[in-house]
Amino acid sequence: MSWRLKALSANLLGLISPASVLCIWETAGALGWINPVLLPRPSLILRSLVDLVGDGAVFSPLLHTIALFAVGYGLACVIGICIGVAMATNQVLYGLLEPLTECIRPIPKSALVPVLFLFLGIGRATMITVVVLAAVFPVLISTFQGVRGLDPVLLETARTFQVRRQRTIFSIILPASLPMILAGMRVALGLGLVLVILAEMLAGEDGVGFRILDLQRSFQIRDMFAWIFVLVLLGGGLMMLFDVAERRLVPWRGRT
Amino acid sequence: MSTIGTIGEISRTGARTNRAAQLIGVRLYGLLLILVLLSLWELSARLGWVVSAYWPPVTAILRAAVGELAGGDMLDALASTLRRAAIGYIVGSVVGVVLGILLGKSRVLRLALLPLIEIIRPIPTPAVIPPLILFLGVDDALKIFIVSLASFFPVFTNTISGVAAIDDTLIQTARTFRIGWLRTLVSVVLPATLPAVTAGLRTATSLTLVVAVLAEMIAGSSGMGYYLVQMQYALRPDLMYAAVLYLAIVGYCLNRAFIVLEARFVPWIGKT
Amino acid sequence: MRKTILSAGLALMGLMILPHLSASAAELEKVRVSIIPINDVAPMFAAIQNGYFRELGLEIDTTPSTGGATGIPGLVGGSFDIAYGNVVSALLASQQGLDVRVIAPGTKLTDKDTDTTPVLALSDSGIKTGKDLEGKTFAVNTRNNVIWLYARTWVKATGGDPGKVTFKEVPFPQVEDALRQKRVDAAFLVAPFSIIAMQKPGISVLAHPYTELQLGVDVGQWITTGKLLAEKPETMKKFVAGLRKGAEWYNANRSSDALISIITGYSKTDASILKSIALPAAPLKSDLDQIKRTMDLMVDSKLLSKPLDLSKIIDPLAL
Repeated sequence: MSWRLKALSANLLGLISPASVLCIWETAGALGWINPVLLPRPSLILRSLVDLVGDGAVFSPLLHTIALFAVGYGLACVIGICIGVAMATNQVLYGLLEPLTECIRPIPKSALVPVLFLFLGIGRATMITVVVLAAVFPVLISTFQGVRGLDPVLLETARTFQVRRQRTIFSIILPASLPMILAGMRVALGLGLVLVILAEMLAGEDGVGFRILDLQRSFQIRDMFAWIFVLVLLGGGLMMLFDVAERRLVPWRGRT
Repeated sequence: MSTIGTIGEISRTGARTNRAAQLIGVRLYGLLLILVLLSLWELSARLGWVVSAYWPPVTAILRAAVGELAGGDMLDALASTLRRAAIGYIVGSVVGVVLGILLGKSRVLRLALLPLIEIIRPIPTPAVIPPLILFLGVDDALKIFIVSLASFFPVFTNTISGVAAIDDTLIQTARTFRIGWLRTLVSVVLPATLPAVTAGLRTATSLTLVVAVLAEMIAGSSGMGYYLVQMQYALRPDLMYAAVLYLAIVGYCLNRAFIVLEARFVPWIGKT
Repeated sequence: MRKTILSAGLALMGLMILPHLSASAAELEKVRVSIIPINDVAPMFAAIQNGYFRELGLEIDTTPSTGGATGIPGLVGGSFDIAYGNVVSALLASQQGLDVRVIAPGTKLTDKDTDTTPVLALSDSGIKTGKDLEGKTFAVNTRNNVIWLYARTWVKATGGDPGKVTFKEVPFPQVEDALRQKRVDAAFLVAPFSIIAMQKPGISVLAHPYTELQLGVDVGQWITTGKLLAEKPETMKKFVAGLRKGAEWYNANRSSDALISIITGYSKTDASILKSIALPAAPLKSDLDQIKRTMDLMVDSKLLSKPLDLSKIIDPLAL
């Protein structure tokens, strides 16, 4: 009984800060303190949002964005984990790839857009590459650190029992370094979503990012905020999914 | 929590003999690979495999990069970007650490403020620049705000989970011995959270330069971001890539410097 | 000995002049202007260079922005006094209830010979008209803006259905590559990029939509807000007067090296490239009729839901 009350009060408490920000914003708007076009009142934004969802206009761009995210983020995770494991377990590959990754990593990816346009065209390939380039590094590096940080005894044991390389990777290395890999994937998740939006702004023809930019350029800021709200929900939803997945995969993690 | 650093650092814990030789020895193939790729670039531009005004030979870029050392707009632009990035980084990190500790220690604050912070996180800054201009203007305040927001999140997230992970017996012990909250904070909480905070700081370091450049690209009238776009529109791709090169070098050096400092001041990191 | 006396005398004179100079500098009123570093704003830089604003008591502080994303929000937020923008953006802002006012004309295309904004396609593509572009892609810098509007109008005027053409956003510097790599089939391009694209063989001009469809079109403007106009009417009047003088100088010196060095100064474009461009004459007055025609096209393309009252947007200062 009392834990239920506690959970309820916790949820209520959580509503206070967003609600008070919205209240201040609404009042300031109603009193004419802020420009109504460039920063419209939340109640008006809500109406735009209701329209957006009501007439179904939200779905096509949203699906577009989710698809781009899924492909970009998925590729970034797979590539990051593969290269990370390869570099951590094989000294030759480490020497071969370490300088290159360290060279590419600090480059602001938005500066590479002209090159990407030149080689990949203006569209999907460029957008996916931008997302992968940004999201791959957190995964790669935390995978690498996770694998390198494994207990040597574990690997020695595997060697002693003459477990094959492939099996060592899949049944020993990957599960043991999973918490670190997931930590990198979590960082990449937030980064990836922002980058998807950015990529759609740079090279998109549809999607939430393009909508936001288009509305911004024609000063339809009210509708733009409605889309930003959609984005916040999407980001929150993805994080929640990630939390659930992580708890499933690494149940022992939250208890430390 | 995540400790996203560089790949180099853990290999460092291996044999320390002849480090310089080892550093190059292992990486020899990697350096060769980069040389091969750059030669391919050079050849493709010189022999006309790739024909574009935006594909200058590598040597032209290097020439432009060296030329700017003797005087030019690029170093000024770099300085102003670094200044914005540094201020934004410091502001974002300090706020991140303070809020992280406060929210990590106080359940009420955590419940009350965390949702708001999580709502702000996925908002892409390029989208909210027009309303931000209303409050922050178009100058440094706007760009510094964007940079500090970007560095705030990793520092905050890492700090709060670092505080949450502190062994409760430590705090209890401090309480048993009636140590004041300030001393508890300084001598128990901070040292125990430091590895997590540093990890966040390191993630923020690599983000801040990138975000500063991006903000200048969208709303800049100076700095490397503006310079990059301006050179692109002025049909000077050699200078544009030279700017990218400088940014990459600075980013690399910042990361290296961070690792060195970290090894000095948080020596117990990586031993967990 | 004489040298020392001379220099001492000069220094003394300098000391006497200096306070005077700094006093007059303090009296100058600062005007913050948002610009896009393109050829179109050359008349204003000419006015700055020649001291026309200073004579009127203004000191112009320019803030370049490449995309122009900060111009109108910066005006509304009070960061700028005046901003350079294109006609479509100004009308779009006005439609949303932002109180923007045009105080001076910026760019106007009155002469076919100086229209350097063509529609381009590969010479061997077989594309000649808007009709040929149906089912194909057309590169514009920004959708739902001025270039897009006239690209659509041209497609329609040459027998095509703009609804069947895919308009793709390609930044100006990347257009030539996109055309040559056949990633787009046609493109609407501005100088200097159009000039450079045509220097090498293989790309030909299909049309000059601005001057062929609407000779005399007002493309760019200097804008402010109603609030600023009411607060500082004198400043705005002085700015327009100085700018007009700059435009007159610009028109009289269009092919001079002096003008080219002014443009290179702020755009960093190579002088040799600028020399190959025929610069259009700068307008002295806005043309309500022309802006109305652009507005009608915007209504046609559904950028505007209904016509706006232009007399409330175009300030008498511009006329």
